[in-house]
Amino acid sequence: MVTTVSLKEVLLGGAREVFETMVFMALEESGPEDVDLSNLTLLGSITFKGDMEGCLGVCCDEACARTIAANMLGMDGDEVSEEDVSDAIGEIANMVMGAVKSRIQDEVGTIEVSIPSVVQGRELKKTHGEGTEMVKAKMNIEEEYSAEFSLLFRLRRE
Amino acid sequence: MGKSLMIVDDSATMRKIIMRTVRMSGLEFDRTEEAGSGVEALEKLQGGPVDVILCDINMPEMNGTEMVKKARELPNCNGTKIVMVSTESAQDLIDQVMSDGADGYITKPFTPEKFQEKLTPLLN
Repeated sequence: MVTTVSLKEVLLGGAREVFETMVFMALEESGPEDVDLSNLTLLGSITFKGDMEGCLGVCCDEACARTIAANMLGMDGDEVSEEDVSDAIGEIANMVMGAVKSRIQDEVGTIEVSIPSVVQGRELKKTHGEGTEMVKAKMNIEEEYSAEFSLLFRLRRE
Repeated sequence: MGKSLMIVDDSATMRKIIMRTVRMSGLEFDRTEEAGSGVEALEKLQGGPVDVILCDINMPEMNGTEMVKKARELPNCNGTKIVMVSTESAQDLIDQVMSDGADGYITKPFTPEKFQEKLTPLLN
C-alpha cells in the first residue's frame, strides 16, 4: 500500500538516481526546514493523472539550478544560458517523475505523466488544496546548495 | 563510410545532453543533426537518411511513436536504426513502440555505458 512514508523514500530514491546518473552530484537529505524562497527561485513541476494524480516539484535557487544545468551539459556555469538553466530543471522534474513512476506503477496502477513546466520568481508561495497529501524532502547538493523535492498527490477513489 | 546520427527531442537542452552522453560513450559519428519535433525530423529524413535516430517519445505536435511509424514508411529509412529515449519505463509501452518499428529503447536517466550497450550492436 502506498503511504506518505513509502512515497518519501520513493521520491528520495528517484532524485538520488537522477542526480548520480545525469548531474554527477551527490544528494543528502537535510533538515525539515523549507528551502529559502526569498532569492530568485526556479520551480520545475510536472503533473500526472490516472489511478494516482498530482504534481511533482523540484525547487531551488538560481545558483543551484545553474550548477545543475552546467553539470548536465558539461559546461561552466557562466557558459550556460537562461534557457538551458530552465530546461535543465524541467528535465530534472521529468526524470525524477519517471523514476518515481517506475517504482510505484505496479502498486498504484495507471499513471499518465504530462510535460514539465518551469516558473521562476522571488518569494514563491506554495499551497495545496483539500483532499491531497504532500511529501517533501529537502536535500543538500554537494553540501553547497539546497533543493526541495515535493510530491503532491491523491489516490483515485473507487 | 562514417555513420550519421539524428537526435529528436523538443528540448534543445536535452538534445545537447544526449549529444554529450553519446560523445562520452566513445561512439563516433561523422555527421550529427538535430530536430526539435517529429515533423522536423521527417522533413530532414526526406532529404536523406541517417544511420541512427535517438528519439524522445513525449513531444508536442507529433510524438515519438507516431514519428517512428511515419519514418518506417519512408523508402530511404529502411536501414535506419531508431532508438527511443524516454522517462517512460512501462513494459507495454516499450513493447508497443518496438512493434511500431523502433530498434531499441533507452530510459532516462541514462549513462554513457547504456548508450554504448544499446547502440554498438546496431552500428555493426
